[in-house]
Amino acid sequence: MSTLTADPPTTSHAATPPAAAQVQPTFAGVMRGEWIKLLSLRSTWWALASTVAVITLVALAAAASLNAMADDPALAPGVEQMHGAEVISSGFQFGMLTIAVLGALLITGEYATGMIRSTFAAVPTRIPVLAAKALTLVVLTVVVTLVGVTLSYVLTMPQLSQYDLVPALDDPGSWRVFGGALYSLIAAALFSLGVGTLLRSTAASLTAALTVLLLLPGILSFIRLDWVETIVSYLPLPASSALLTTGAAETQGAYLSTQASLIVMAAYAVVPLAAAAVTLHRRDA
Amino acid sequence: MIEARELTKRYGGTTAVHSLSFTIAPGAVTGFLGPNGAGKSTTMRMIMGLDRPTSGTVTVNGMPYRQHRAPLREVGALLEASAVHPGRSARSHLRSMAATHNIKASRVSEVIEMTGLAGVATKRVGGFSLGMGQRLGIAAALLGDPRTLILDEPVNGLDPEGVQWVRELVRALAADGRTVFLSSHLMSEMSQTADHLLVIGRGRIIAAGSVQQVIDSVGGGAVRVRSPRAGELAAALAANGATVTSLEAGMLEVSGSTAERVGEVAFRNGLLLHELSPCRASLEEAYMSLTQDAVEYCAHTTPTTSRTAKTENR
Repeated sequence: MSTLTADPPTTSHAATPPAAAQVQPTFAGVMRGEWIKLLSLRSTWWALASTVAVITLVALAAAASLNAMADDPALAPGVEQMHGAEVISSGFQFGMLTIAVLGALLITGEYATGMIRSTFAAVPTRIPVLAAKALTLVVLTVVVTLVGVTLSYVLTMPQLSQYDLVPALDDPGSWRVFGGALYSLIAAALFSLGVGTLLRSTAASLTAALTVLLLLPGILSFIRLDWVETIVSYLPLPASSALLTTGAAETQGAYLSTQASLIVMAAYAVVPLAAAAVTLHRRDA
Repeated sequence: MIEARELTKRYGGTTAVHSLSFTIAPGAVTGFLGPNGAGKSTTMRMIMGLDRPTSGTVTVNGMPYRQHRAPLREVGALLEASAVHPGRSARSHLRSMAATHNIKASRVSEVIEMTGLAGVATKRVGGFSLGMGQRLGIAAALLGDPRTLILDEPVNGLDPEGVQWVRELVRALAADGRTVFLSSHLMSEMSQTADHLLVIGRGRIIAAGSVQQVIDSVGGGAVRVRSPRAGELAAALAANGATVTSLEAGMLEVSGSTAERVGEVAFRNGLLLHELSPCRASLEEAYMSLTQDAVEYCAHTTPTTSRTAKTENR
């Protein structure tokens, strides 16, 4: 044991400037720190802009394809069965892609650059950082979805009105669809944040999150086994599709009930985040 | 004040830090010296609560870092690899850290001014030179006006003016009563900046104490003496227990004694001296001799000197 002592203690004790008395971390402060970090990166603006663009463009494309459907005698009856809100929300899976990328980058970007050490030096208890990131992400997802859906609504209106499909705002069915899309996007974003916190690497996190969110249903659809089909119905995309319907999911031929879908999507958001919170405290930064 | 007790960190089978116990006192600059891979950065990360010790404890200002209510007020750290997102501006980086502690925007501007970053504060950090990155790291460390500063290789990449600035800054911070703990493998830099040294190699403490104590602990230095009656002086010194070697006619090198002792022996024997000079080992020599074993352990890699040079130019 070696002790290094200062020869004569030069000053009585370490300087404590008076201005600093109230300076200490609060959750509101951690939140503000996360906002500053998020909004000061170009990649955030790209992810947000492309989410809005993708939601809007796919809705426009879906609305434009109504003409083709109406012209095709085999498909024409289908057009009448459709609900305008479904047309407007048809870009939500692609929105899921960009919002999931944002969710993962929120944390993996910090690990990749070493920023995480500055972050955890400022907030060594760590959990508030994850909570603040999750909250920030939810707020962003809400804003982006609202902007995307509003834009889609307005821009598809001329086309939809030709088929009398403009969703009525007093129709609960419209709000079910929009609400389902928002709920699913929030769940996807949080799922991605949780996976990113657990895996830390951008590439690994994006691969894992996007595979589960978007690719697996397509890959597994080639396997015609009952139990595989059951698993598929619990994957985020099929589960969330059940939420984007104008009526109760079970009446629309979905495997999961509305309630079950809500719970399954919530689990995708919560389980990885909870696991991440547990490991975050223990692991070296 | 930083206190480590039996601090140990193992990664799998490798022990990076082996049962370190030390106390870093306030009001002084303490240098943390050791070859690459000696465990300096790991130790500093454990102090900052970023890495968990495998065993042992370390406290800063009396408490583990994670338990402080306002950590940035207690400890400011510059950690080796710049812990900054390259896509963000220097000001945004500092503002985001300041926000967590409700530190005012005026303090952000203050540390930007202090570290000479005013001209580039709105530029993205990705375009910064190593020296500018170091200045930003130091600005972040100063943000909370902390009582303890931990600086990992602060002069790395700085130009001579920057080196001078860091030297004056840390001396001023220590004179203010703060604890300053900085690592380096630039020995010459340490001798001009540090009051105390903690030398480690292979995760163990090799030497600790004031700069002079550390130098003295290595062989203690020799004394050169010139006398027209060198033969008699040599005999008298040898009788006194010193080891004497004759370098040339009339010139002796005495080890195991001090200049004071040699002068006293000469005086008592009535011997005239023409020169009496202590040859202190330089900090560089002391460091080399101290860490030789530690470096030899990984002898297949480049020798210490060139490694040091490489890092300097990084």
